[in-house]
Amino acid sequence: MSAVVNGAPKASMNEANERDPYNNNSYGTLVDQQYKKVDLPVLDVLDFNERIIRGYEEGYGEKHLPADLSLARSLVPAGTATLRDFSNISPEIPEYIPENCTACMDCVTECPDTAILGKVLSEDEWEAKLLTIPEDDREMFRAQWSKTKKYYDAGKKKGLPGGMFQIIIDPSKCKGCAECVTVCDDDALKMVNKTDEVMTRARKTHRYFKNIGPSNPKYINDSLLIDMMLKEETHIYVGGAGSCAGCGEGTALRMLCSATGSKFGDQWGIVAATGCNTVYTSTYPYNPYLVPWTNSLFENAPADAIGVRMRWNQLGWQNRPLWCIGGDGAMFDIGFQALSRLLASGMNVKLFVLDTQVYSNTGGQASTSSFTGQNTKMSVHGKTVFGKQERRKEIAQIAMMHPRTYVAQTTCAHVNHFYKAVLGALEFDGPALICCYTTCQPEHGVADNMAGEQARLAVDSRAFPLLVFDPRKGDTIKSRLSLQGNPGVKDDWYINPKTKEAVTFVDFARSEGRFAKHFDKDGNPSETLLAAKQDRLENWHLLQELAGAR
Amino acid sequence: MAERLADFDFPSGGLDAALEFIKRTRAELRTLRKVRVWRDKFHIIDVNKDYFEIRGIGYAHADIVPLLKSVNTAYNPETIHDSIDAPYKEFDTGRRHPWAEDRVM
Repeated sequence: MSAVVNGAPKASMNEANERDPYNNNSYGTLVDQQYKKVDLPVLDVLDFNERIIRGYEEGYGEKHLPADLSLARSLVPAGTATLRDFSNISPEIPEYIPENCTACMDCVTECPDTAILGKVLSEDEWEAKLLTIPEDDREMFRAQWSKTKKYYDAGKKKGLPGGMFQIIIDPSKCKGCAECVTVCDDDALKMVNKTDEVMTRARKTHRYFKNIGPSNPKYINDSLLIDMMLKEETHIYVGGAGSCAGCGEGTALRMLCSATGSKFGDQWGIVAATGCNTVYTSTYPYNPYLVPWTNSLFENAPADAIGVRMRWNQLGWQNRPLWCIGGDGAMFDIGFQALSRLLASGMNVKLFVLDTQVYSNTGGQASTSSFTGQNTKMSVHGKTVFGKQERRKEIAQIAMMHPRTYVAQTTCAHVNHFYKAVLGALEFDGPALICCYTTCQPEHGVADNMAGEQARLAVDSRAFPLLVFDPRKGDTIKSRLSLQGNPGVKDDWYINPKTKEAVTFVDFARSEGRFAKHFDKDGNPSETLLAAKQDRLENWHLLQELAGAR
Repeated sequence: MAERLADFDFPSGGLDAALEFIKRTRAELRTLRKVRVWRDKFHIIDVNKDYFEIRGIGYAHADIVPLLKSVNTAYNPETIHDSIDAPYKEFDTGRRHPWAEDRVM
């Protein structure tokens, strides 16, 4: 497909061109796809992608594109962020070491940018498809496949040919955060410098990966939740969003989209409250979602969602899930009354809270979700006031007290817990709230690769306990509330088996820059931090008591 | 896979020289991931699991503290010098300065 721009024929943005010789910035994640057209007279997808996206990619969009109806309405077609190129923002990129890979899929799952993808093919179809690769590159591409126990040996045991597995990095979407390398326990990924040779190999590999078609479904076990991202239809969040490198929210949104996509394809929608999530997923003209998405104000996204739900029900779309997404600022604070109203309405809308505890978008302020002692722009640690003085509000507990509401508190580092929580919310025929711990690297003061590590430590230290409250499980709070997934459920603090030391909130605080001023030069915690520790213990005791674990 | 990129002999060099060694060679490692401290040696490990080794100093030694601080280690000062059954102690080094932490709104 070619496009005519300003009267001159040009290669489509969805094809190889001078700026993108291996067509890495193309529609589709695991395999190439045509643009996803919408049947709306107000938006011409082809014109948008070829003229407006091109204008922004080539750098003249803001100054020279006319403010016609397409531009002025700020409508953005689905998945346009796949056409965005991040190749030049990081000096490093991960490299795959196939001989060490176990196909655990942790790297694919935890990437915030849909920049690392997996595929499994039977050995015989793999051999046949290798023949379609240009001869000069065939051995290079062949060497990047792995014979894992999970697919190769297990496939043979099932009477299938061995399954060949591959991980690739999309160099146009990777921001170099190294989260994938950090979560890999098998030394199957390492960071390398971006040289011309490295980038050419990465670009070619990504191109061939997309050319050879989708994974063989015979090797994908539907009951193994972490394998869901082997399917194209789960990549509802396509990458190319403008989030920071390693953003914990990006991973949460990807996993939310995958879980929902695995059950409902693209037949669902999102109402997003203003916040970081709306900024990086709707920086004009880039949209990483393949489902209908709308942005409402900080304070009223749940009210907006009620309206969308009512209209969808009028259209007979009762079975299409609707997610209402917002950060802690929108959901704990400014939009809390709308959230509570939605939960009380009993309507089938699912709420997803990206809980960074810092109003990330507005530069790091205290919200009611912030931990005691936290140093933010609105709770500055000074000589008389030592960071935030109030205690953290617990939105999960508040939501539990609304009539017949499904509630979960989870993190992306607890993959099964996360997916089960989301799928449980989708199965529930009423309102649901999922509060997800997400790092904000610049505001928390942690490295770009630490999203998973910090989320795990938040749970281990009782800063952010995992929970699921399912009203279908019984008629007592104890029968409905599960603390499964937390370490040492009956104990006050989790005891690290290696060191035999208790892991407390002080240990969590010690690992993040936002609490750094609470430690003296010898590393001793302040009184405020000890009070925060006590607050977290009391919160944990309350949950234990409610769940019958105390 | 993991490579020792540089090493240093603590007893012959002393604390100042060890700190200078870390400062001088730091650029050879990528993003720091964690440290491991044995009874008699100290590893600074990056995201690729490549590492520096400082031999002749362990968690019982008072001079381990400035070395840990030099790479932003999240250690507990109350227990850092205590003996443990495990072969080594491991700590994260992922703490950074928050964005604009000194800006007051």
